[in-house]
Amino acid sequence: MSTMNSGGMSAGGVSSRGGRSWPSTTSVSSSGKRIQKEMADLNMDPPSDCSAGPKGDNLYHWVATIIGPPGTPYQGGMFFLDITFPSDYPFKPPKVVFKTRIYHCNVDSTGTVSLDILKDGWSPALTISKVLLAVRSIFTTPDPYNPVVPVISRLYLADRAKHDELAAEWTLRFAR
Amino acid sequence: MVTDSTTNASIPMAASNSKDFAKKKRVNRSAKLKQCKLDARREQWLSQVKNKGGFGDSSGHPPCSESQSSMENLEVKPRGEKEGGSIYHHYSDSDSASNSPTSHTSSVLGSSNVSGTIFTGSGGSSSSSGGSCSGSVTGEDEDDDGCLDDWEAVADALAVTNKKQEQDKHSFDNQSVVPSVSLPELKPEERVEGNVQKGPPNCRAWKPDDAFRPQTLPNLSKQLSFPMKSGRQYGCAWGCKNVVSVPTTCPICCEDLDYTDSRFLPCSCGFRLCLFCHKRILEDDGRCPGCRKQYDYEPIKGEATIDGGSLTFKLGRSCSMITRS
Repeated sequence: MSTMNSGGMSAGGVSSRGGRSWPSTTSVSSSGKRIQKEMADLNMDPPSDCSAGPKGDNLYHWVATIIGPPGTPYQGGMFFLDITFPSDYPFKPPKVVFKTRIYHCNVDSTGTVSLDILKDGWSPALTISKVLLAVRSIFTTPDPYNPVVPVISRLYLADRAKHDELAAEWTLRFAR
Repeated sequence: MVTDSTTNASIPMAASNSKDFAKKKRVNRSAKLKQCKLDARREQWLSQVKNKGGFGDSSGHPPCSESQSSMENLEVKPRGEKEGGSIYHHYSDSDSASNSPTSHTSSVLGSSNVSGTIFTGSGGSSSSSGGSCSGSVTGEDEDDDGCLDDWEAVADALAVTNKKQEQDKHSFDNQSVVPSVSLPELKPEERVEGNVQKGPPNCRAWKPDDAFRPQTLPNLSKQLSFPMKSGRQYGCAWGCKNVVSVPTTCPICCEDLDYTDSRFLPCSCGFRLCLFCHKRILEDDGRCPGCRKQYDYEPIKGEATIDGGSLTFKLGRSCSMITRS
């Protein structure tokens, strides 16, 4: 009995067929409450140059904006992101996707951000506010050693000026 | 040797000081020894006082009928006398250093006389007489003294003198403004009173933070602070607990933490969360959200499902959840 349960849980994870009973329900309700609280916190004390909120009625789909930090080739750009919360949100990371095209070695052509905290480095204690700050930090400090677009990272390492020029050009073209 | 010196020196003053002589005899030996030690300290102190304070007083002090130079002499005298007989005896070409303790005592005993004489302005002779007469007394007494008495007395005297010295410094600082002549006045009184004299200064309560507080005294601040401190720690512990579990809600699911949850501390990093979320995390990767380290309960989990009842409270809780699921 016990072994079956534990095995089912470890294998099934969130809401597998058998274990639907209450992990899923609790996680859904808890994620809702948690997301609402995060929204309130964001409204109360938004991180600088960032904003985020539900896209519509759906609490699990947000849209966020990040303003390109001054001093970077992304300066003056307004970058939109889609944030999708999984139903077991705090336990699983949100999906963050750039809707605005950006010339960045850590953002692939579909807009997916490669950030450690959005994958293995996720912790349920992290919040959307912190995620936005992390995303904003890759504007100022790209990580060319873990690129999703190797061409850009190579250019970044080889010819920074050229890279910046291209990034600024993309910003000018897509982000305003 | 001692006798020689005493006789030599005592002759001039012995007659005049006969009363004091009698008094001195009454004083018991231990007291004398204490005083001896005390006085050795006091001499040092007095010498300082004299050096520093001598200037201001000499001008304002009426009793000293003689010129300033004589005044200075007077002021020097007691010091010299107390500081041993050594000085004075050298002067009077008396004996060796062995005599110095007696001379100390003498200064103690005869100090009243000396001071009196000083105020009357009689000068060096008086001081010498005081020293000499007392010297004779001590000569008698010290012959009888046993070693044990000495040791006890010395120990007492040392303890007292330490305090005294501190005290004296303190009082000196306070009184430095006052004409120093008043100091000699004070001192003799104290000396005459003998043991009693220690009363007033020692009765004064030291503040724990007093700079002049003798270090030999027990550390009041510690004793005082101990209960306070413990109380504070207790409070702090509660405070920390409150701080860690700040909003009384689970930081993961934002639900209120009930009593069991608020007492649930699954990770050594202090990150708190409700039992539901903890269980949920154990299902996933079992890492603490606060420090991202693996929860310790992972290996125990299987064990717990087997016999959860025998486990401790925390384990029992976390594991019972697992079994139920």
